[in-house]
Amino acid sequence: MFGYYFTLGLRSLRRNRALTALMVLTLAVGVAASISTLTILHAMSGDPIPEKSRRLLVPHLDNGQVDGWAPGEKPDDVQMTYQDAVNLLKSGQGERRTVLFGTEMPLEPPRKDMPAFSSAGMAPTRDFFAMFNVRFLHGQPWTEADDARGADVVVLGRAMAEKLFGDANPVGRQIRLMNVPFTVAGVVDYWNPRPRYYKLIGGDTFGGADDFYIPFASAIRHEAGINGGMNCTTKREPGFAGLLASECTWLQFWFETRSSADRADLQSWLDRYAGEQRKLGRLKRNVPTHLYDVMEWMEELKIVGNDNKLSVWLAFGFLALCLVNTIGLLLAKFSVRASEIGVRRALGASRREIFSQFLIETGVIGLAGGLLGLALSFGALALIGMQSTEVAAMARMDWEMLGMTFVLSVAAALLAGLLPTWRACQVTPAIQLKSQ
Amino acid sequence: MEIRPILSALLRNKTGPILVAMQVALSLAILANALYIVNERRAVIARPSGLADEHSTFYVRARNLDTDGHEQRRATFKHEADLLRAVPGVASVAQVSQMPLSQSGWNTSITVDQRQERPSTSASMYLSADSIVHTFGLRLVEGRDFLPAERVELDRKDQAEPPPQIILTRALAEKLWPGVSAIGKSVYFGKQEVARAPQVIGVVEHLQTQSAQIDETGEFSIVMPLQQYGDSSTMFAVRTEPGQRDRVMKEAESVLRKSSATPMILEMRTVDQDRKDRYRGDVALQWMLVTVSLLMLLITCCGIVGMASLWVTQRRKQIGVRRALGARKIDILRYFIVENVMITSGGVFGGVALGLALNQLLVSKLEMARLPAGYLAGGALLFWLIGVIAAYGPAWKAASISPATATRSV
Amino acid sequence: MLRMTNLSKVYRTHMIETHALRGFEIDVREGEFVTVTGPSGSGKTSFLNIAGLLEEFTAGDYVLDGVNVKGLDDNARSRLRNEKLGFIFQGFNLIPDLSLFDNVDVPLRYRGFNASERKKRIEDALAKVGLASRMKHYPAELSGGQQQRVAIARALAGSPKLLLADEPTGNLDSQMARGVMELLEEINAAGTTILMVTHDPELAVRTTRNVHIIDGQVSDLVRKGPSLVQTPVTA
Repeated sequence: MFGYYFTLGLRSLRRNRALTALMVLTLAVGVAASISTLTILHAMSGDPIPEKSRRLLVPHLDNGQVDGWAPGEKPDDVQMTYQDAVNLLKSGQGERRTVLFGTEMPLEPPRKDMPAFSSAGMAPTRDFFAMFNVRFLHGQPWTEADDARGADVVVLGRAMAEKLFGDANPVGRQIRLMNVPFTVAGVVDYWNPRPRYYKLIGGDTFGGADDFYIPFASAIRHEAGINGGMNCTTKREPGFAGLLASECTWLQFWFETRSSADRADLQSWLDRYAGEQRKLGRLKRNVPTHLYDVMEWMEELKIVGNDNKLSVWLAFGFLALCLVNTIGLLLAKFSVRASEIGVRRALGASRREIFSQFLIETGVIGLAGGLLGLALSFGALALIGMQSTEVAAMARMDWEMLGMTFVLSVAAALLAGLLPTWRACQVTPAIQLKSQ
Repeated sequence: MEIRPILSALLRNKTGPILVAMQVALSLAILANALYIVNERRAVIARPSGLADEHSTFYVRARNLDTDGHEQRRATFKHEADLLRAVPGVASVAQVSQMPLSQSGWNTSITVDQRQERPSTSASMYLSADSIVHTFGLRLVEGRDFLPAERVELDRKDQAEPPPQIILTRALAEKLWPGVSAIGKSVYFGKQEVARAPQVIGVVEHLQTQSAQIDETGEFSIVMPLQQYGDSSTMFAVRTEPGQRDRVMKEAESVLRKSSATPMILEMRTVDQDRKDRYRGDVALQWMLVTVSLLMLLITCCGIVGMASLWVTQRRKQIGVRRALGARKIDILRYFIVENVMITSGGVFGGVALGLALNQLLVSKLEMARLPAGYLAGGALLFWLIGVIAAYGPAWKAASISPATATRSV
Repeated sequence: MLRMTNLSKVYRTHMIETHALRGFEIDVREGEFVTVTGPSGSGKTSFLNIAGLLEEFTAGDYVLDGVNVKGLDDNARSRLRNEKLGFIFQGFNLIPDLSLFDNVDVPLRYRGFNASERKKRIEDALAKVGLASRMKHYPAELSGGQQQRVAIARALAGSPKLLLADEPTGNLDSQMARGVMELLEEINAAGTTILMVTHDPELAVRTTRNVHIIDGQVSDLVRKGPSLVQTPVTA
């Protein structure tokens, strides 16, 4: 019967083209608006590393002042001081750990025809690559020894490597960073998760891939320029050394635990560490420490802004309007078929069968609406992506959202069709057959 | 006017009218809120940065790849500034620490009384040993610009004390000392003791912060006559004569590159570009809101016209009977318009309630602002008008139905 | 009361001209109860439509209660309909979404009576047809005969001079039909002129005058006493 009703549905649609076109269009436009805004929301809030997002944890210690602070207030910054970072690195807690900051520095290419330019990269410790599942195209991360002594080695992003060296394998070659020759240890394959969940503070959350990576100790040693946010609650001594000794927060720290069960242990260790620091007088506020996994971290930093949420709400409000409109159109469409229904009922169709027939017809409209809606969604996403390259990277449909388009469209059509279909079933055959 | 019978007939056949009323309600609620947000953003985007001529202002981030000492660097930068000043078409140059709307810079918390527990507020800091007032073209509303003697240059490796004189924006002055003049007052940055707390010697009308925040803090800026040297990079703000900006930018770049023996990294940006970047998201949201609003109006209109046409068709016989009983064409027209106005009114009342509820949701969940009454009132009027106009076509068709329809057996 | 002279009605579609009435002559005096009969397609409905000012005619003259209808615009015709005529249709044509009270009210609203005047007239009319107690009910709750009686009340409420009935008993069973006819005869006895189109020869026999229409032309039969006097067909 399904196939029969499906064919009937198609035929009925073709009969009254104008009305059908209007219905499909209204539905499609509503679906397109919803899907395109949802796609962006999905891209922004999706889990970037599902296989271990619960095992990657950001520790937070509140090192703010006590003066002018009321308990319960949010801390000014959720980054970390150098002292805490170094202590946590040494602690050996978790299976792996890394600290990182964004850095910008002049890069002099080995090619004489290319002038020097400013380049933006990261200064993590060695474990970073393993922790975030970064794949290497050539070579490998620098050694532990290099990491410890802050050797002048660099890992390049693939785009930068190709810019500087073309397709050749640059491992072992040298480039000048901050006026110092650095040896290339490896090249990272295309890796540009958006949002940049590993470094969410300090801008460029949806920007391009990192140009390079140098060891944390190396960046410190060379007093590399900081490309990110910094918050100082107390006076700091001038100079880079002063920064390292101060209570300014400017670093991001990540732990990786073996399993998500280890989180509780890490939390207790962190609490104990904070307790020690309080005794030393470094940490002033008596507040609990925090651990955030990847999704919690993104939530804490409000990656999905209010404007994005507003767009999604607006789109769904619009879809609701389209739905109500469609209900009206369906009512009209089905009401003129009253005589057909009367005849069918007289010929033996039960109420349920009439219900199925018309509901499936509605479903056909939903499918047609989904197809058109999908096309319109692509258009809408393209329009939205015109804003900037960052947004364009988010405004891309994936298979999940594609499937969602059809599900949403058919579900919406069926929902809209419930009332008109129920009405259609109530038609009394007798009255329909008598009056013409 | 036959209002009661029309109303009672409507109530007997509720589904259609309710659907139309729902569409009107939804559209009105969303439209009123959407338009308010659009206007709000427009106001935010239109805020002046304080710069006299944004279109003629650009800045250069210059970085020398030399290995000079601090004093040498200081001299180099001064030299570069002079080179820039010599470019024809340049009105003013200043070595600055940050630019408004650039989304990159420093904030500090300030207090008016050292005994205060909490800072009064936080403000953005513009540091320059040149005249920012002159280069940006800021408008002084009280006091004066810094004197050459008051300008301080400090080596970065030395401790930085705040200079004895500072300039504030009017908004910040009002915040710190409401109702009184700020001139001569002192501010404090943090708790440490200072030899002399800096005093306000001038107030400018506007100078936005680098982040141009939406709330009042977007206008809290401090200008300090202080330059820290020793970094390998610096920033020059340049104001050109009107219309000369692009040409000057090209010349400035070549002049600077030629001046240096060692390689130089130059990044040039215009204030126009910064403004566009800062408000990109707001502009996009505006477009989206406007597009969806227009679409909603269209769909609701079509819904009203469609439903009215359907009823006219369904009630052909009835209309003929009315005509037979003595209704004139205008009576029929009036009947349908009144009927539609009733339905639209239901929708409008629902829409006003829904709009307020929606706004409440936006305020509590998305930190939006409260909707002023005018938007819902204006929206109500708009939809009433739409209701009448949309019904006109079908009503006209209804009026043309011949009275003979009553006797025909169709 | 009603006089048509040399009336003709021509329907023109793209190719075809249909003469529904030609050279039609009729003179109905006040107080008469005239039945109009004829085979289907003879022009009965056109005659009734024109008599009821529902349609315009192509040529000829029509004077209704002293008013020459020719050249009246739509508004004037509607007013005339409203004031002088009452209609009863085969299909009752009550408005289903209105109560009986509101149904009878419809023509009175167009008349411009005030609320109390209307209320009085409606109550009187419904009382006359015996349905005053069911004023607040809706047509769907009534039988066919009752619905027709409401239609009659609606026709009467405005105190018309002439009542036009199109197959008023067509959709009723014989018992209800008898009841309606009796009601009509009562109304006629009270002074209202009635012009009734019918298929039913039994009903035609009950009235004193029968007009027969064939091919758009009239053949008038007047019963005066036990014999029938027939006026010849006019060419």
